[in-house]
Amino acid sequence: MATRRTELPMPKPDMTPMIDCVFQLMIFFMLTLKFVQAEGNFDINMPIGQSQGQADPLAQDLKVRMIADPAGNLVSLQMGSRKLGNDERAFIQLNSEILRAIGGTPGGPASKDTEVEIDADYNLHYSYVISAISACTGRFDERTKNVVRYIEKIKFAPPRRPSN
Amino acid sequence: MALDAPEVDMTPMIDCVFQLITFFMLVINFESTQADERVKLPESEIAKPPKVKREDEVTINVGFIRNADGSKRVAHPLVFLPGEDVTIAQMTPRIKKDLQMYKLQHPGDAVKTTIKLRSDSEVPIGAIQDLIKLYQEEGYEKFALQAMEEAPKE
Repeated sequence: MATRRTELPMPKPDMTPMIDCVFQLMIFFMLTLKFVQAEGNFDINMPIGQSQGQADPLAQDLKVRMIADPAGNLVSLQMGSRKLGNDERAFIQLNSEILRAIGGTPGGPASKDTEVEIDADYNLHYSYVISAISACTGRFDERTKNVVRYIEKIKFAPPRRPSN
Repeated sequence: MALDAPEVDMTPMIDCVFQLITFFMLVINFESTQADERVKLPESEIAKPPKVKREDEVTINVGFIRNADGSKRVAHPLVFLPGEDVTIAQMTPRIKKDLQMYKLQHPGDAVKTTIKLRSDSEVPIGAIQDLIKLYQEEGYEKFALQAMEEAPKE
């Protein structure tokens, strides 16, 4: 005997709980999202036993002296005995001096063997030291959009504590 | 005569919402939660993130507590730890504790942790050197000074 198949209506899933969860998730992600500017860094290796200011016997040393006023602003930037000033041009000049010191060839043997010692006054603001480290590390090449490295080794002289 | 309630088609809305969730999931960066917003980093054109992800790193935020007008509430810099702010001199027991934890996880190994120093632009460099020295004394040897990536000058 032939039976007639009755067509059942498709069950409709209740979407409400899923939409609730999805909205909760969206609110969570929206609230935890932070648009932060990208950060970069300068690596400094200070092995055990090599205290700040202790020289690497194989490295050729360049000394960068940074003098600060009592408020922590830069008064004078010097490379060796040469005074370079205290404004943005001083750091550009430091960058050129470093390039000259490594023989004008970034990435060459002098670039690897030369070590820069930054000797800054205790109260000098961190931002000036970052500018000096940037100037010593290299420059940004506009054409290749890459960083041209001048110096790989940077170290700090022992902190100059205020006498009082 | 009662009319049936019109059925709303939810499909386009659910599509949009899923697209939004996918966007937020992709752009969210949980690592940035270690960065303290009170620290205003200096900018550098050539500071770039490391090409290879570091094996192990600890982020240390150093800065000032400031008033609404930007003036410093306390003259000396503080280290912003989760839930508390301490002076640099008070860091020694915390560094020792972190080192103990590291040695439990990596018995016999030399310390390979990189200390990522996020310091405010106005922190005296001497204070940062003091903090580096405290870590050095416990055997840490890799440090990274953080700076904000500055857009290249035209």
